[in-house]
Order: sequence, then C-alpha cells, then structure tokens
Amino acid sequence: MNRTRRRYGPSLNWQLIIPVSAGVLVASGLGLAACFAVAVIGDDGGEAAFGITAAAALPVGGLGLLSARRLRSMPLIIRDGFAAVTAAWLTAAIVGAVPFLIAGTFDRPVEAFFESMSGFTTTGATLIDDVDAEPDAVLLWRSLLQWLGGVGIVVLVVAIAPATGLASQRVFYAETSGITADRLTPRIADTAKIIWGIYLTLTALALMSYWVAGMSAWDAVNHSLTTLATGGFSTHTASLAAFDSLAIELVAIVFMAAGGVNFAFYWRAVRGGSLWPEAAEIRLYFLILVASIAAVTASLVLADDVSGVWNSLRASAFTVTSLITTTGFTTDDYDLWGDYARWHLLVLMFIGGCAGSTAGGMKVTRIMLLGKAAAQEIARQLRPKAVQVLRTRGRVYGEDVRLGVLGFFYIYMTVAIAGTFAMTAAGLDFDSALSSVAATLNVVGPGLGAVGGIENYAAVPEGGLLVLSALMLIGRLEVFTVLVLLTRVFWRPRGA
Amino acid sequence: MRVIVIGLGEVGQNIARTLSAERHDVTIVDRDEARVAALEGELDALVLAGNGASPKFLREIEAGEADLLCAVTQSDEVNVIAALAARQLGAKQTVARVRDDDYFGGEESFSRDMLGIDFVIHPERATAEDLAEAVMLPGAVHVEHFAEGRLSVAETVLTDRSPLIGRPLRERTMVRPHSVVGIIREGRTLAAEPGQRPKKGDHLLIAAAREDIGAVVAYAAGQAIEVHNVVVFGAGRIGLPLARRLEATGGFTVTVIENDAARARQVAELLRSTTVLHEDGMGKDALLAHGVDSADAFIACAGDDRSNLLTSLHAKQIGAAFCLAVVSREDFVPLVDALGIDAAFSPRLVTAETILQSVRGENVEAMHLLLGGGEVLEVQADAGCRADGRSVEQVDSLTWAHVAGIVRNGKVLMPEAHERIEAGDRVVLFSPRRGVAEVGRTFNAA
Repeated sequence: MNRTRRRYGPSLNWQLIIPVSAGVLVASGLGLAACFAVAVIGDDGGEAAFGITAAAALPVGGLGLLSARRLRSMPLIIRDGFAAVTAAWLTAAIVGAVPFLIAGTFDRPVEAFFESMSGFTTTGATLIDDVDAEPDAVLLWRSLLQWLGGVGIVVLVVAIAPATGLASQRVFYAETSGITADRLTPRIADTAKIIWGIYLTLTALALMSYWVAGMSAWDAVNHSLTTLATGGFSTHTASLAAFDSLAIELVAIVFMAAGGVNFAFYWRAVRGGSLWPEAAEIRLYFLILVASIAAVTASLVLADDVSGVWNSLRASAFTVTSLITTTGFTTDDYDLWGDYARWHLLVLMFIGGCAGSTAGGMKVTRIMLLGKAAAQEIARQLRPKAVQVLRTRGRVYGEDVRLGVLGFFYIYMTVAIAGTFAMTAAGLDFDSALSSVAATLNVVGPGLGAVGGIENYAAVPEGGLLVLSALMLIGRLEVFTVLVLLTRVFWRPRGA
Repeated sequence: MRVIVIGLGEVGQNIARTLSAERHDVTIVDRDEARVAALEGELDALVLAGNGASPKFLREIEAGEADLLCAVTQSDEVNVIAALAARQLGAKQTVARVRDDDYFGGEESFSRDMLGIDFVIHPERATAEDLAEAVMLPGAVHVEHFAEGRLSVAETVLTDRSPLIGRPLRERTMVRPHSVVGIIREGRTLAAEPGQRPKKGDHLLIAAAREDIGAVVAYAAGQAIEVHNVVVFGAGRIGLPLARRLEATGGFTVTVIENDAARARQVAELLRSTTVLHEDGMGKDALLAHGVDSADAFIACAGDDRSNLLTSLHAKQIGAAFCLAVVSREDFVPLVDALGIDAAFSPRLVTAETILQSVRGENVEAMHLLLGGGEVLEVQADAGCRADGRSVEQVDSLTWAHVAGIVRNGKVLMPEAHERIEAGDRVVLFSPRRGVAEVGRTFNAA
C-alpha cells in the first residue's frame, strides 16, 4: 500500500505577518523621522534616539514590504488576519518603546513598552513624572504614537500599501472596532483611505481650532493629534489644566466628542447617503453624554465638590466627555469628587464611544443592543413563539450579532474581573486596581486612587504594568483578535 | 378580439374560459404537454404546447397579430420576456403577471415606461390591498373605489341588528345619498329590486361618495366592529404586504403567524411594529395561545386554501369577530359562506379584472369582479355615444346592467331613473352576471 504523508504548514502565516508588520514599521519610521527632524531643529535632546530608530525601522520595514507582492495569490484563512494584526501591534509597541530607552526617558524596558503601548492603543496612561521636562521630540513621538493608533495603524497600512486584495480585508476586519465592520466602498483599501481622510481632516480642523483658541502652534499640533485619536497624552504634566482656558476646553470637548462618533457617519453625511444606519447609536451616544454631564454636575453641586454651579458644569462637561470618549485629558482632579461622580465616570469608561470611532470601551452600539436583547429576553418569557429581531431604525441585526454582543459583554467583564484580581495581587488597593483595569482595558488612561487623574502609573509594579499593557491591547483590538491566540485551534498546523 | 394566454395554470384557464365565453378568439399556450393534452377538449380555445417566451414560437402562432397577450405563467421572468417579445412583434396590448416585488415593487413605473408592457399585474399585492381596505372600513368586507377614489362601492354584511332586515329596500331611511345596487345571498349575486327584503347574513352592495361610504356601511350593517387587533395567518406574498400596509396606516395591533421558521424571521426583519410568531401547527390551542379569540379581525392568507379555510373556521369558533380568508381555487368559494367565514378573497380575480378591463375597451377605467359572480365597472361616456343624453333607465336596459353611480365634473351623483347621462360622465355600472358585453358599444362613440 502506498501511503503518502500529508504535509502540514506552520500554524502562523509569516507571509502575511511579515509584510503587515513591515508596513507598521515604515509608518512608525516616518513618524520617527519627523521626531528626528524636530530634535535636530529644537536641539533639546533626542537626536540620537530618533535618528537611530528611524534609520533602523525604515530600511527593515521597506525590505519586509517587498514580500507583500506574493500576498496577492496566497490563500489566507481567518486566523491569519488575527495573527498578523496582533503581531503588527506588538511590533509597533516595541519599536515605539526604543526611542524612550535611548533618549533616557525610561531606564527599564517594561516602562518604555508600557508607555509605547499606552500611546499606540490611545490609552494615554503615562509613567512620566514631569512631562514638561521631556525633550520636544519625545513629546511629539508620544502624540504621534496615539495619532497613528487612533483609527488603526493597520488600517493605515491597508490604505497606503499597494493593494493586496484578500490580505487587506482579513487584517482590516481584525483591527476595526464594532459589530459589523462597515465597508464603505467595494474595495477595502478605498474604505481605509476614506477613514484616514476623514481622520486627517478632523485633525487639521482641531489643530486650527486649538490655535485660534489660544494654544501655541506646538501645543496645538500635539493636542490635535491626541484629541482626535481620543488618546489623552498632553505636552504638560497638568494635562489641559495647564492652559486654564475655557475656549481650549470647549475645543477639546467638541473634538473629543467628534472622535467618538462612528466615522462611517461622517462619510455618509459627506456623501449624502442615508444617515439612519448609524443614527440610533449616535443619538444614544449624545444622550448618554448629555445626561451624564447633567447627573455629574448635579452631584458636584449637591456635594459641593466644586465651588459654584458654573464651575461644576464646566468641570463635569469636560471630564465626562474626556472619559466617555476614552480620551483621558484632565482639568480637575475628579478623584476628589464624591463617590457617585467617581462611580458614574468609571461606568462611562466601560461604555465608551461609538463603534467605528477612535474611542475605546465596549461601544455604544453594544450597550444599545444589550439593552434591546435584555428587553426581548424578558418579553420572550411571555411569548416564546414570537420571532424577535434586533433592530434600529436603519438596520437589522442577525442572530449572530445577538450572540456576538452577549458573548462580547461576558468576555469583556470576565477580562475586567480577572484583571482586577491580578492588579490587587500586584499590591494595588481596590479603587486603584479596579480603575487601573477600567482605564487600560477601555483605553482611557487616568483612573482613580493611585492611578487617578493627576497621578501617573509610576506606583504600579512592573508585573502590573505588563498586565495593564496586555489589557490595553486586548481592549483596543476588541478582545477577540487577541484572545483567539489563546485557543488551541489557532495554533494548529495549517491544513490539519 | 384575438387573445393569446401564456400559462395554463388556475389563472390562465380562468381567463381563457371567461374570454371564450365572451366570444373572443383565445389561443392558450403552455410548456407542459401533458397539461395541454388534458385541457385540449375542455376549452373552446386553441390549446398549444410551446415556450411562450420564445420569440420564434410567438412568431409561429402570430402573436404579432394579437389584440391582447396575457402572460400568466408561474415564472415572473417568463411572463416579462413573453410580454416584451410579443410587444416587439406588434401585439396591441400586453399584460404580464409579476408576483415578486423585487421586479416592480412600490411605485416604480419601470414596466410601462421602460419596457412597454401595458399592464403589470401584482395579484397578491392587490389582494393584500383589498384585505387592508376591508379591515379599515368597519362593516364591509370589500370596498372598491372608482373615479380617482371619489365613488366607492362596498360589500356590507348585514348583522342581526341591521335596520334594513325584513323590510322592503324602498322603505329604508338612510339620509346620506347612496344606492343599494345588489345583494349577495348564499354566494349568489342578485340585482337589488326596490321591493326586496334583505335577510340577516346577506351581503349588500352599496354605492356612495367616498366620504359617505363609512357612515352608510355602518348604518346598513347595524353593528360595525371597529378593528384594532388584527391577526394575520400566513406571512407569504399576501400576508407581508398586508401587514406592511396596516403598519403604514397605523392604529392597528398586528400579529402575524407563520409556520416556516426561515420565512418568519425574514418577515420579522422586514416589519417594524408587528409581532411575528412562528407556529408550526395551527390548531385551536395554538390560536387561543396567540390571542386569536380576542382578535377583532382574523385574516387567513397562507399559501394553501385548505389551511386558510380550516384555521378561519377555528378562529371563528373560538370567537374572532371578523374572519377573512384567501381562497385561490374556484371550487372552494361556496364553502366560505357555509363555514361562516365573513368573506373570501381571491388573487385569481384580481388578475382576471385587469385582463377583462383591457378586453372591454379603452373606456373601461376600472373593474371589480365579485367572487359570487357579477361585476362592477367604471366607464367614461364618449360624446355622441349611444348613452349620451339617455336616461339612467334607458342605459340600464341598453347594457343589461345597473347604473350604480355617476361622477360628473368631479362630483358624485346618486342616479335617479330619469337622470340623463352626459358626455364625459364617469359611470359606475353593476351587473349581477359576468360579462357586460354591451358596455363598449353603449359608451364608445361610433
């Protein structure tokens, strides 16, 4: 009998992982080069750090991209997209960490990695005690990290890389947030271009608005990058409190809120198509925003946490917008507010912005569908034969979405609880542990207690920083992209 | 008139039979040779086997010479292609039956403007429309509107509280202008005579201006149920548009019951406020569980006549106030009355209405066939036609029909016997029999 042995491929598809990571390297390399230029011009340090890293990243990335040609004809399976995106993000975080080490911002690699991951995932949690003292190049690099991670660095690669068909599609869906990734155009590369185009436009608008509102050009550049990314890194230790300007706060509120809106909505608004598909989510998003501002303001006034109604409203409007959009800019130390306000803010972090925006959290769509699914489940007890449909005015969701949303909620909460266990084990008190998990999993940045708004993450031990870094990545990639790596099927050889 | 009918189904046969009874030359075509052989001797028509959508075959049977081609096969695509091909060959009028809303849904005038098909018939959608009208007009089971909706003819069911029962029609005391034109008793349609005494359970055909019809019907019925709570059995080609229509109108609580799981989900996704239930068996217990006993109206419009009749019977027995059933097969129609179901609807009639309308000539603006025989139609009087200047009484005897109402310059007149017809009048006629053959000759000039 003639037995032929089947040949299995490796479980990871390096032919996709390498070009996608290489694309990320090139994108980061361009940012590094910009920082190098700033370092040379500003002459306050960092030339070596950014020069060396850019000089290494650009050619390596360029070489890696050469292999993208072969992607066109390659068979790709679902897990390839997950693997490539997770690998690309890890690559980005590692490359992003290198200049921090060389420039001497941090001594320990874990700290640099945390800062870099916090940047790319648009979290905005920092370990730097005195931000103002850092060289301009380092500050710009932090802003650029967030901006690149905002709508997704892989989306950027898809947008600018030579079209690679199915490969683009696999990685695009693995990175974008939301329940059903919206394809705005027949070709995914065009969708990615549109998303980045909207992002660039909004960033430019924010830049001009900040400048008009009284920021220096330098601050305006940095803050516009981190505002639209809903990131939250600032050029000042005191964050936006350093400006103490109502106009600047208003600009920040508007653009943070804009960053939390589904980008597909802007596209439809510009194109003149039906706005209904996203309308229900956006309406609920603004409803939560306004209601939360009102509730928090009321609690501040009643508890007399902030002096005066006007100051309460101003502080509450800014903080609520900053936290629900998972940006993390601060003007007030909300950790000093009453328990109601603090709890309300913590819950807002978990809700987050709209799907398909730059914000983190569970996303308003999921909250909305969870509510509908709960109501239907209760109604189903009385009418078991009724056919229930999850719907909004402009959209009908399949039953897979119902299961997907319920599963997502369950897994998200499990991750949050497990994370809190880990952080309390690392020695944090309960408030700090819970809020550090909420602030990183939802990619917000500041939490409560030891990691509160005016504090930083320096109090967290190294092991804790690694846990939080993992949570940031899990949260940014919406759980599944990372967690499938923990399954047995994922590591099974190809063809098995 | 030379008429070609493509498709030997229930509808095609019915059209062929009706038209050949009115002495038109009918050629009927079907692909199924066995069916053709079976029907060859049954119809006074030329029955041929062949592909009606094939231009070559159509040329062979001289479709270009036809005055009318009706394409009513099971396939929408075949119907449209056949109508198009016949049109190209020179057929004077073409009618295609299209059941799928994807082709000519909503208000698209795609068919006439782009394709040149004269009529596209949507029998199921039109039936759904009829059902919705019946639900919306308390006391009536059918309502038909004529002359741009100015004049309405309603079929009213007389309950035992009706003031008309037992007294001669001429003694009725309704103040609003109307005319009682016919009576449907035990499934048979009769002309209304002034001395006739209506009985409980009779259906009265009443014509009135549209704004009066509601009050007139409510008075005649004696007890009109205001319908709010509607249960629709069957979410098919009729059930879905019906539920949509009721949703769009508002004011109804609609429950749709469907026995196919996939279809139930599909329909649930398309409807908004309607409750869609998936139920396999429709026994009495299931009907009770879904609250059919407290429904104001129960409408059975599933694909199968038998289950429509059976579930309607169940629904009536457990207390549904008003039951309507869709019955496609002609031989089931007499059962409807016997089972106590309030009224039956047939998509087949809708198709025949459109086709007969085009056979009757250009002046016939609208046409409504009654399930128990008889028809109501609207014609326009040409200047100088035989009816022009004659009294209603004379027109009645010329056409062997009854003038139910006249719309003159947009105003509705309930005709007295001596009223004279003027050129340009829209005249609504009722005939207790099928086939008002004299209409064309009476109202067409020359």
